[in-house]
Amino acid sequence: MNDISIVLKSLSSRRLSTIITAASVSVATALLLTMISLRTASFEAFQRGTGTTHLLVSADSSPLTAVLNGVFYANAPSNPISWAKYQEIKNAFPYDWAVPTQQGDSFRGYPVAAVGPEFFTRFEPVRGEPWQLAQGQFPSKPFEICLGSTAAAGSGLRLGQKVFLTHGSGTSREGEHAHEHAEYPFTVVGILQPSGSAHDRVLFTDLDSSWILHAQDRREREGVEGLTTLADLKDEDRKITGILLRLPTRPGRDASAAIQQQFDTLRRDTSIVVAQPAQQIDRLRSIIGNVDELFIALGVAVLLSSGISILLSMHNSMAQRRMQIALLRALGVARMRITGMILMEATLIGCAGAIGGCVLGLIGNAIASGALKARIGLVVDPTLDPRSTVIIVAGAIVLSALAGVLPAITAYRTPVADNLRPQA
Amino acid sequence: MNNAVRLENLNFDYGKDFSLSIKELSLNKGEMALISGGSGSGKSTLLWLIAGLLRAKSGSITVAGQRMDGASESAADRIRARHIGMVFQTHHLLPEFSAQDNVALALMAAGEPEKTHAARARELLNKLGIERVNVPVANLSVGQQQRVAVARAIVCKPAIVLADEPTASLDDVNASQAMDLIQQACREAGAALLCASHDRAMQSRFERVIQVDSFVRTERSQAHSGARA
Repeated sequence: MNDISIVLKSLSSRRLSTIITAASVSVATALLLTMISLRTASFEAFQRGTGTTHLLVSADSSPLTAVLNGVFYANAPSNPISWAKYQEIKNAFPYDWAVPTQQGDSFRGYPVAAVGPEFFTRFEPVRGEPWQLAQGQFPSKPFEICLGSTAAAGSGLRLGQKVFLTHGSGTSREGEHAHEHAEYPFTVVGILQPSGSAHDRVLFTDLDSSWILHAQDRREREGVEGLTTLADLKDEDRKITGILLRLPTRPGRDASAAIQQQFDTLRRDTSIVVAQPAQQIDRLRSIIGNVDELFIALGVAVLLSSGISILLSMHNSMAQRRMQIALLRALGVARMRITGMILMEATLIGCAGAIGGCVLGLIGNAIASGALKARIGLVVDPTLDPRSTVIIVAGAIVLSALAGVLPAITAYRTPVADNLRPQA
Repeated sequence: MNNAVRLENLNFDYGKDFSLSIKELSLNKGEMALISGGSGSGKSTLLWLIAGLLRAKSGSITVAGQRMDGASESAADRIRARHIGMVFQTHHLLPEFSAQDNVALALMAAGEPEKTHAARARELLNKLGIERVNVPVANLSVGQQQRVAVARAIVCKPAIVLADEPTASLDDVNASQAMDLIQQACREAGAALLCASHDRAMQSRFERVIQVDSFVRTERSQAHSGARA
């Protein structure tokens, strides 16, 4: 017989109340852990998605929209950039690389991006981690297509299969404007390894194929019959929706002193929008930050209320336990030892709740990261952030212990003689 | 040193309504005495004073050669745990604990090595006729619960057992059996017994009867003596 066994028996005798109270601590802990872990992990995932791009040029309405559309494929960019403008920008500065991209088509809801060949050879979706093929090869000829890992898993496509792209994002909102480019089958030639970025849910092809598809539409409207070839393309058909730019850097470094200067230079051109993706992600963080701080405040409030429920549960039990406390005192157990047992009881509820919270948090993170990956292709690490976990678990346990202080004082003050006399 | 307990020049009061004054009272090792008196006469108060659960205004209380008066609360707790066993009218067993655990509580309070608790408690309970030592005491009969309460009082081999109205809620037959049990257990444990009871029939069981009324002044007795004067 020892103090712990007395405490455990006491908790066991109030099993339902103990379980409910510990569960409320678990829910609060899990909520906080999930919120904080996902916040950290999702912003890391967003930062990863920008890859080695220093500057992004588009004709979108704002730099943030340009990044959301151009890097995270939120929507197809609304305005095009001419090929001539691309050449002008590319030739105006000795960029390390300048990758043209064009969006606007989709396959079963997955976005399709037509990209220049440097997208696979020079651009890295995550710094230090260039594209890797899981199967096949990168597109090298028109009408070849390469799948991001999420798109491959979600669509079930395999190498050699033929696919037809849909004009637009393929959502029901587009109604009759969405149509399938049924004349031009694309052949799946490669499947990429996961990169942990939004690119994983994209199908990639070359620019010529995309231009041919859209030139075909133009020619049909003009009443020209027959399939379009490269030779039929006009300058107006050669449009892109974004340019990923990287400036030269010293070996082993990602930053360049010229980024800001070049950013300012490009901004003078009012026909385009230029964005520094890293800056825009920080901006996004500050916008969303207010919302998730609200969730975290909610989690703290739930944790506080669970602390109050521990206090109430134990305080209510004190009335029934006066005889037990008085008896222990009569047997010679010191006041402080009994006080310690009550605090231990509250702390154990907190420990059980915090452990349960970690398990729930892991499950919650796994569900949330699965949903993020499925919905927007954002690969978020489902493990708990160790530093936040230690702080939150310690906070839950300390709060629970504090909730035991009032009942412990009540126990300390319990009169012995009065509570051992037979009740009338 | 042959005294299990010794009280000298002891004074205690509950304000003006009740005061207790004892010039000298001692109980030898193994001696059994009954504290007799009516309800509210101060029998329990005397037991609480000896147990260190109430503090005297002045005087000395010595239990097994150790001064209880003037001792710090924690020192009094230790003396009570090691040298005093207590039996109550309603047993005061913890219902969610087994018989063995209820007895082990006393060993824990006395600081006995934890690994000896189960064996010592079980052995004593078996000796007192309790075989189902691991069932919650709530599942035992009243008579068995009484045996568990007695086992808890004597398991630490105390110098004295203080019994507060141990038979008040029992009929005559059961009261007699309960007292047989308590007295025999104390005898075998070598403990003195100080038993408080308002039941005059109990007096024949004890070699010594202490009338608590002789130590106590109450508002009623003062009024009575004032009227006589």
